[in-house]
Amino acid sequence: MTYFADKQLLVTDIFSRYPATPQGRRSALMPLLREVQDALGYVSEAHMAEIARLCGTTATEVRSVMSFYSTYHTLPTGRYHLQVCSTLMCALAGSDELWDHLVSVLDVQPGEVTADGRFSVQKVECLGSCGTAPVVQLNDEGYYEQVTRTKCDRLLAAMRADAPPPPDNPVPVTVREDGRQMTAKGERVGASIHDLAPLAGGEA
Amino acid sequence: MKVVVDGIPLDLPAGTSGIDAVFAAGRDVPYFCAHSYLSPVGACRMCLVESGSPRKGKDGNFELDESGQPKIFWFPKPMAACTMQATDGMHIRTAKTSDVVAKAQAGMMEFTLLNHPLDCPTCDKGGACELQDRAFEYGYGASRFGFDRRHADKHYPLSDFVILDQERCIHCKRCVRYFEEVPGQEVLDFIERGGHTFIDTEEGGLPTGFQGNITDICPVGALLDNVARFRGRNWEYDHTPTTCTLCPVGCSITADARNGRLERVVARENREVNEVWICDAGRFGHVFASEDRLTVPLVRVDGELRPSDWDGAILAIRRGLTGMNPADLALYLNADSTLEEGAALETLAGLTDTPSVDHWPRYAANVETTATLTDVATADAVIVLGADLGEEAPVLELRVLEMLRGGILPPEFPHGTAIADLRLVERPTRHPERLAVIGGESRLSAHAGMRVSANGHNALARLMRPDTDDLRAAAKLLAEVKKPVLILGADVLNTVTREFTAQLADLVTRTGAKVLPISAGPNSKGLAHLNLVPRAGGLGYDRLEEARAAFISRLDPATHGLPGRARGFTIVHDTHLTATARLADVVLPAVTNYEKRGTTVNLEGRLLPLRQAALSAGEGADLIRTLTALAEALGVRTRIRGLKSAQALLADRLGVDLTDLPESGVIRPLGVTFTAPALPHTPQLWKERMHANPERRGSRVPDRADRIATWQLTGQDGALPVGGDD
Repeated sequence: MTYFADKQLLVTDIFSRYPATPQGRRSALMPLLREVQDALGYVSEAHMAEIARLCGTTATEVRSVMSFYSTYHTLPTGRYHLQVCSTLMCALAGSDELWDHLVSVLDVQPGEVTADGRFSVQKVECLGSCGTAPVVQLNDEGYYEQVTRTKCDRLLAAMRADAPPPPDNPVPVTVREDGRQMTAKGERVGASIHDLAPLAGGEA
Repeated sequence: MKVVVDGIPLDLPAGTSGIDAVFAAGRDVPYFCAHSYLSPVGACRMCLVESGSPRKGKDGNFELDESGQPKIFWFPKPMAACTMQATDGMHIRTAKTSDVVAKAQAGMMEFTLLNHPLDCPTCDKGGACELQDRAFEYGYGASRFGFDRRHADKHYPLSDFVILDQERCIHCKRCVRYFEEVPGQEVLDFIERGGHTFIDTEEGGLPTGFQGNITDICPVGALLDNVARFRGRNWEYDHTPTTCTLCPVGCSITADARNGRLERVVARENREVNEVWICDAGRFGHVFASEDRLTVPLVRVDGELRPSDWDGAILAIRRGLTGMNPADLALYLNADSTLEEGAALETLAGLTDTPSVDHWPRYAANVETTATLTDVATADAVIVLGADLGEEAPVLELRVLEMLRGGILPPEFPHGTAIADLRLVERPTRHPERLAVIGGESRLSAHAGMRVSANGHNALARLMRPDTDDLRAAAKLLAEVKKPVLILGADVLNTVTREFTAQLADLVTRTGAKVLPISAGPNSKGLAHLNLVPRAGGLGYDRLEEARAAFISRLDPATHGLPGRARGFTIVHDTHLTATARLADVVLPAVTNYEKRGTTVNLEGRLLPLRQAALSAGEGADLIRTLTALAEALGVRTRIRGLKSAQALLADRLGVDLTDLPESGVIRPLGVTFTAPALPHTPQLWKERMHANPERRGSRVPDRADRIATWQLTGQDGALPVGGDD
C-alpha cells in the first residue's frame, strides 16, 4: 500500500532539494504528489496520508494543496483524460457546447470513466491558450486547439482506435536540473541556459 | 506615533494595525476574518479604509502642501485595515467620512453574500451572526445577483460536537487558522479552489480537546455547536457571565439559559486566564445541569426513597440522628464548592465539634504556587512534571502551546484586546526545544522537544540527577533560561514527600523557576486555606464508612468503588440521584455551580466570581442554605446563614473582600493552608453524566461508520468507484 516504502533514494533526493527544517520538509509536498500522480494516475486517500507522514503534516493539508490544482486526481482517470478549458475565451469560442457534446457522446460525467476504461472528462480553468480557443488538453501530453465538433468527433474516433493524433501543441514542459525544458515525453523544448554563449565585454 | 482617523488625532504605540487605530478613534469598521488571538490575513476584505501617509522629498524633509502642512499621499484604492500597519503621520478615513470606503464596503458585502444561502430565517446563528449584523449595517440592502446560489453540504458533522454547513461558509479562514495556530492541530483546511472552495477535514473528524472554540469564532452559521444547536435564539437566552468550575483553570464563560434550562456555554474573554478559548468539556459537558435533576428532598421510608419537602427532610434528619452526638456527624464536601460554602461548612463543624471534616479531591500536601498562567505563556521554558494537562487543566495546555510559539500576547487598548496584532503570523515558528515533558504520555508530549517517561514520584529526582540525553537537555534548559516555569501534575502531587519539598525548594532557588502545581479539584486551592481536613481523631473522606453519621455534599464515592454510606445515618446533598444518593437515608437537592453565587480559586490562586444562571432547580439549595437547614436539625445556630455573612467571615479570616471582585479575578495571598493525609487522586475531566445523550436530545449525529453506511450504494462491493474527478 505504501508507495514510497521501497523508494528511499527517491524520497531522499526530493527532500534534499529543500532546507532540512519543518517548513522545508513541508515544501516537498508537491514533488511527492507529482510522483504518485505520475505513477498511478491519481492520488488515493492512503497516499495522501502517506505523503502527510513524510512531510510532517496532516492529510487535510495534503488534500488542500492537492485539490487546489486540477492536475491532481483523487480518483482513477481513463486512458484518455480530456480536460476542457472553461474559462472566458474558450467559453466565448464555444467550449460549453463542446463540453455538452463531449459528455453526451461519451456518456460520461466528471468523476466517471467510460465502461471501456478509455475516457474521462474534466473542466479546467484557463489553459492559457486563448488565441486557439476552444482548447482540450489530453492527459499531460498537450493541447488540441480550435476543437470544433467535427474535430472533436475525429479525435474521439482516433482515440477509440487507440491512435490519437499528436497534440497540436505539446505541454506541459518540465524544467530539468540543468535548466533544460522537456515535454512529458522527454523531447527537448526551447533552449537551455547552457546553450547560451557567454556575453563578451561590458558589465552584466 | 501620531495617526489621524477621520480627522481625530491619536497617539498610538508603534506597530498598531490600521483596524485598531480606527477602533481607538471610537470609529467602526466591519471585519470577519480578523480575530484578536489569530494572525491577521486580510481574507474577507470588509475592513477597507482609505489611508495615506506623508512623504519625504529628496531633501529629506516632508513634502508640504499649500498650507505648509505635510502633504498626504493617499493610496489609490481602499486598503484592508487589519493587515495594514498604521505608521507615523498616517491618515485613515472610514466609511463615516469617505464615500469611497462606504461604497467599497457595501460592494464587498454584496460580493460576500453572492454565494451565501441566506438561511437567516432558519440558521441557528441568527441573532449572533456577524454577517447578518454587518450586512444590515454596511450592505446596500439589495443584491444585483438574482441567480441560484452555489450549493454544498449542509449539516455535515465534523464531529459529534461540531456541525458544518459548507454553503454558509464565507472563507474567513478563522477555523483553519485557529487549529493551526492555537492547539497546533492542522485538521481543517480549504479544499478545492475559487468558487468551489469549502472547509473539510481529511482526518476523519476533529481532535477532542479544543474543537468547540471554532463554533465561537465562526462569524456566520457555518460551524455550530451541536449540543446547543436549535435549542434557542441568541436573544432568548439569559446570558450569565460566570466561571467554569469543571477543572482548576477557572475559565471565564457565559452560561446561556432558556426557560430554566442551561442550553449553551460560550467562552468569555479573560486575558489573564483563558484568553478567549475554553476546552470541550467546559463547552459541551454542561448537559447534566438541566437533565435528570433532583428537585425535591427525598426521605427513606420503609426502605424506599420517597419525595418529601425540606421540613420533612429536616424532621427525618433529626429523627435519624436521635441518640447521636452532633460531633458524630462527619461532613464532606466536593472541592468544587465555593469559598463561601467552605466557610459555612467550617463554621458548622466548629459548632458541632466534629473532627471528621474533609473535602475531595485534594492532595496530602499543598505546594505553593508562584506562577500565573500569563507567566506560563510568556516563559522561555516550561518543564511539565507528571501531568496530563488534557485531564487536569486543558486550557493550561493552550497557554503552554502559546509559549511555544513565542508567547506573544496581543496588546490591550481602551477598546479592548487588539483586534489584529501584526506580530501574530500564520503557521508560526514553534520552539519545541523550550518544552520538556517528564512523566506519562499525554497530548502535550507530542509538542515537546524533550520527552522523558518517568513515574511521577521520581520525576523531580530524575530531573535533578539527569541520566538520559533528554533529561540532561531539560536540566540544562532550566539552568540557562531566565523565566522557566515548572508545572506539577497529579502524578507528582500525589506523592509529595519531605524530600521532594526540599528538592523543589533547592531547584527554585538555584534556577529562579516559578512553580505552578495543578490543584486536585476546581477549588482545592481555595478550600485548602479553610480548615476542611480531618482534625485530631477525625475520619477523612476515605474512611466515610467508619463514621456513625455523614453529610456528603455533591460527592459520589459509590460510583468510584468506595463505600457509599456511613455506618449509621447518611445525608446526601447532590444535584442528581447518584449511586451514593441511592444509598442515603435523606437526599437533599443541590444546585450546580452554574447557578451559584460565590467565589472560586483557580490553580494560580486567582479569586474568580461565580454568578447565578437562571436555571430551574426546583427546591435545590446551595450548601450554605442546606447547612442552615442541617444546623436547624442538629439544634445549633450557625453564624453563616447566607452569602453575605459568609463573605464577611472570609474577609475576617483571609483578609480579602469577595463582594466586589473584578471581572477577570484577582490574585491575593490567602494565608496558611491546612493539610492532612489523603488517598491518591486520579484527575478525570469528563464525568459520565457530562456526555450528552444525543438520542434523548433529538439531535443524534451519525458517526463516521454510520455515515459511510448511508452513502454506500446497494449492490456495490465497496471497491474503489471508478471515474475521474472534477
